[in-house]
Amino acid sequence: MENEQEIVVRVKRFNQEKGEWWQEYKLKVDRFTQMTEVLRRIKTEQDPTLAYRASCHMAVCGSCAMKINGEPRLACKTLALDMVKKYGSNVITVEPMDFFEREKDLIVDMEDFYSRMFKVKPRLYPSKEVLEGKAEHRLKPEDQRELWKFEQCIWCGLCVSACPAVKIDPQFLGPAAHAKGYRFLADPRDTIYEERLKILVDSAWRCTYCYMCFNVCPRDVEPVTTIKKTRAHTKFLKERTPVAETGERHIEAIEESIRETGKIQEASVYLKTYGVLGSLIDLIYAFQNGKLKYALIKEEKVKNIEQVKKLMGE
Amino acid sequence: MTNNVKIAYYPGCATHGLSKDVDIATKKVAEVLGIELVEVEDWNCCGGGFLDERDEVTHTALNLRNLSNVEKMGLQKMVTPCSVCLQSHRLASNKYHENRDLRKEVDKRLKEAKVEYSGKATAEHIVWVLVRDVGLEKIKSFVKRPLTGLKVGAYYGCQMLRPEQVMGFESAFKPHSLEDLISATGATPVTFPMRTACCGFPLMGSNPKGGLRLAYNVLDSAKSSGADILVHPCSLCHLQLDVIQLKVKNEFNVNWTLPAIYVTQLLGLAFGFSPEELGISKLAQKVLKEKGFA
Repeated sequence: MENEQEIVVRVKRFNQEKGEWWQEYKLKVDRFTQMTEVLRRIKTEQDPTLAYRASCHMAVCGSCAMKINGEPRLACKTLALDMVKKYGSNVITVEPMDFFEREKDLIVDMEDFYSRMFKVKPRLYPSKEVLEGKAEHRLKPEDQRELWKFEQCIWCGLCVSACPAVKIDPQFLGPAAHAKGYRFLADPRDTIYEERLKILVDSAWRCTYCYMCFNVCPRDVEPVTTIKKTRAHTKFLKERTPVAETGERHIEAIEESIRETGKIQEASVYLKTYGVLGSLIDLIYAFQNGKLKYALIKEEKVKNIEQVKKLMGE
Repeated sequence: MTNNVKIAYYPGCATHGLSKDVDIATKKVAEVLGIELVEVEDWNCCGGGFLDERDEVTHTALNLRNLSNVEKMGLQKMVTPCSVCLQSHRLASNKYHENRDLRKEVDKRLKEAKVEYSGKATAEHIVWVLVRDVGLEKIKSFVKRPLTGLKVGAYYGCQMLRPEQVMGFESAFKPHSLEDLISATGATPVTFPMRTACCGFPLMGSNPKGGLRLAYNVLDSAKSSGADILVHPCSLCHLQLDVIQLKVKNEFNVNWTLPAIYVTQLLGLAFGFSPEELGISKLAQKVLKEKGFA
């Protein structure tokens, strides 16, 4: 066929008996060849022992999540020649997702992912009247638009596999669960708001805003955005954990500082977040590294502070 | 890039606060390269990566005010040394263009506050301007003191790279702008596994233990890969990895440090400025002295 090009696919293989090894396959592809098709041809034409998951081939089922040239991606949504072009090499590496336990080759155990999703009660809890068929709860178009983006998750696991916070903090639910959780937290038809707050708020303050989930999501769900939006509900939670409490104090201090001066005055934000003792400790560290002179700078206020206040909705 | 190009400069709060040395070094390096950095008139805070969690409309409106001031200055490019300020402005203008419900609310506020934004002014990172507009060859031509033998870890962090679809300058998974700049100074770039992982700064306001763990992971990864010093592109990474580096050291009870300096501080050194002139921290000065660059 015209415009065919040979590629080398380096697959990180694994099984319980042999452990891990790299294996190379050569094949010809054209500009329409998806990575799922690449794997299918390797399996049917060259090596029936290669194990991977794929089903719909159209970014709907979420089965074919893996790392391609180091990027967490859906294989079906990745054209082989796009990778060749982006990285300037006809060698494409394929590895299983990080974080999850490996089963065989590119197949990982998704149990950890599913348990995260079930923790946030991923379904609508409608009112009794609606359940009994006595009422109908309509969704306004603007509410639907707010929820739509966050509803598109296909449970592929890419965001969790790439998230640095889930690796260091077992109390963080992870990006996908937060997107799902917020999608119901903000749904006006749902009836378990208080319970959802308890599940989601503490965890939301454990995200580090690295934007990895936003970057890798094949459905543009933006889990990090839902985490930000969930934090805004902290004020409605009666009993807050220390993490949520500190976080809320920190953002209140930032908002107040911007409202008053148009800028973040580090010293006052520090004091309000950590208290006098906590701030002093960090000040000592700054001093030891020769940075104290900068800690005492008071940044000039925005001259047109009235304009800032108006933009902040006053 | 021809000489004396004028670019709007947005330092941001940290760059004018605890990361003041980032500001000092960036201005010195820009001057050498013939870039006139004109501070954005009466700029306000971008929200520090946090304000949008409070209110997206407020966050977007405040970021557009800065971009509007850039347009009023007759300029279109606003450059910042801070990855968080960069991402904040880019996300804000992106959301403003894409989300019509949000735009409606933001427009009300802009009108009320008499802020006009045409959509033309955009935020860029100083690293992008250096690599793409100034060019590595021109940078090399200003090197007076090649940093030969210094092994410099290239640390990207998060927000200069991600989300790739909004930042768009280079691959979020295989970036090389910092390695290119490090090589231009004559130093040896060290590419280490955790180079695009988070430094943990955004966790310091809610879960500091987690934040310090992330910082440690980055430093440990670079140290194990043989770096003498770390270079980064962000005023908030600077707070985490430079200003409170000793806190990380004590928290994890380790007997080593890996000083982190801002990318223009590294360029400044190669251009012949002394570490003191560039406001470089004591820890980094010690390493530079040992290696014979101070």
